[in-house]
Amino acid sequence: MYTITALIVDDERLARLELRRMLQAFPNVEVVDEAANADEALEKIEQHNPDLLFLDIQMPSKTGFDLLAEIGKLPKVIFTTAYDEFAFKAFEVNAMDYLLKPIDPKRLAEAIGKVQEEIAKERIVVPASRGLLGENDMIFIKDGERCWFIRLGDVRLFESIGNYAKVFFGNNKPLILKSLNALEEKLDERFFFRANRKHIINLQCIEKIEPYFNGGLLIDLKGSGERIEISRRQTVRFKEMMSL
Amino acid sequence: MFARLMKNKSFIYWACQTGGWIAYGLSMLLYNFTSDQSFTRIKYERLITSMVFGFLFTVLLRQLIVKFRLHPPLSKIKWWLLLIVVLVISLFYSLSNSAFVELIHLYVPAQKITFEQRTLYNFISDGPIICAWASFYYLWQYIEINTNTEIDKIRLQGLVKDLELKTIKSHINPHFIFNALNSIRALVDENPESARTAITKLSNILRSSMQAESLEMAPMERELTIVKDYLALEKIRFEDRLNIEYDINANTLKQLVPPMMLQTLVENALKHGIGKLKSGGTVKITSRFTDAFLELIVENTGSLSDTINNDGFGVASTRNRLNLLYGKEAIFHLKAISDNLVEAKVCIPIAQNIENV
Repeated sequence: MYTITALIVDDERLARLELRRMLQAFPNVEVVDEAANADEALEKIEQHNPDLLFLDIQMPSKTGFDLLAEIGKLPKVIFTTAYDEFAFKAFEVNAMDYLLKPIDPKRLAEAIGKVQEEIAKERIVVPASRGLLGENDMIFIKDGERCWFIRLGDVRLFESIGNYAKVFFGNNKPLILKSLNALEEKLDERFFFRANRKHIINLQCIEKIEPYFNGGLLIDLKGSGERIEISRRQTVRFKEMMSL
Repeated sequence: MFARLMKNKSFIYWACQTGGWIAYGLSMLLYNFTSDQSFTRIKYERLITSMVFGFLFTVLLRQLIVKFRLHPPLSKIKWWLLLIVVLVISLFYSLSNSAFVELIHLYVPAQKITFEQRTLYNFISDGPIICAWASFYYLWQYIEINTNTEIDKIRLQGLVKDLELKTIKSHINPHFIFNALNSIRALVDENPESARTAITKLSNILRSSMQAESLEMAPMERELTIVKDYLALEKIRFEDRLNIEYDINANTLKQLVPPMMLQTLVENALKHGIGKLKSGGTVKITSRFTDAFLELIVENTGSLSDTINNDGFGVASTRNRLNLLYGKEAIFHLKAISDNLVEAKVCIPIAQNIENV
């Protein structure tokens, strides 16, 4: 049995204390630190790189959702909240677990059990190289009041719009405050390819490739009807990467 | 006795029906006298015949109106139906009238006209009478239906007002209850004595908020006790992030105020003010007299943009309650009094309070 490292994020000292006390019943969960707000949490995630976050939603200045939207590669997350079941309705994909305060020890055990299973599965799968985000990594996207928790592999296209990037998956196109260059650095090149100045495409979503004028290529993306041009310069790289 | 009869709709109808046709007969007589025509027995009998047939046919007309539901408001098709019914009744009225006259020879043989001529003549002269009858009947119903809807509307408004007051009053934030319970659970280990006190305070608040449902008004003293318990509980949760100040004029404690109103304002100050600040802040509660008003003020650290964006219920419900209870007499505002200070202020007229005592 391996240890799960956990970070508790809650603005109330007593709430953190109580959760810590409850977690003593789970010897394989090690609470590495606590944070009282989102900014503190960001620092401590950087510092400890925990496997699991216990995250309160309502916190001063930034909510738990805001925090998740700022993290690149997500740890497992279990929300803890007093009365915000409605907040979870905002999720398009309700894949994250949540506990209502005061926390029921049985529910806590279930949630931790689920996290353990997921982590065990992932340790078998080969992770993406050098800390980059691969297709199996989960990402959290927040656009205004709406939130999504999705597998990166489900994203077919990133489009640059000024300082923002539009993320295409399913029928959704939320905006995130990230430049395309910053995204390109974080994404695993084996799955995501910079097609031109404005677009990064998911290589597994390519339906059809046609030659285009000027020595470029024109790509049809699966099921969506989007047609993306690969610039001349990138076409050379694309061909290099794809050839045997 | 008479008043009770007047409430009976069918009595009114028969009285009007009989009275109306007698009035018709009398007016015809009057017309004949003033126009200075000779008055023969035959004319009397003919007039009585017209009245009796008119009476019977309008009773029939009413039956048809009831049967076809030709009550206001009428659709286009029903307007046509009503018109046809009125015309048919008028036609049968003149036919029967003429036939009866023909049958028992109610005419001067020398001046005899044909049956067709008589029918046409009757139709032209009596048709408008039936039309007038139908118009009157329709108008009566129209007025009656409208009065009834008006009364229903007023009754409904009263009911809505009652319900609104009830739901607004019973409002205590469940989020607060669960958070308080969570802190108390942590205290059980850390500080059992303060856990005990906290449970007592939480029970007090829950009990008071349930009682508030049955109260129209509550003494300020009671309201302040609730707020103090509430803030003591939030203090456990927020710890150093919450400072509490009171400035209470002891004379205001006997005043009657809407129950749970101060509580709502304090809850808002914490939810949208202090709760949004990493380092927390101060809540100050003031109760005093100014001129003819009782002033309740809740001040909190924070900025108004946060408060307004996310509120909705607290502010709107306070405004509604004051409006329902005092009309334009009471004043409520929520405003920033400096960059870092928000004030919610309620002014209730004192006179109104005394009336209620």
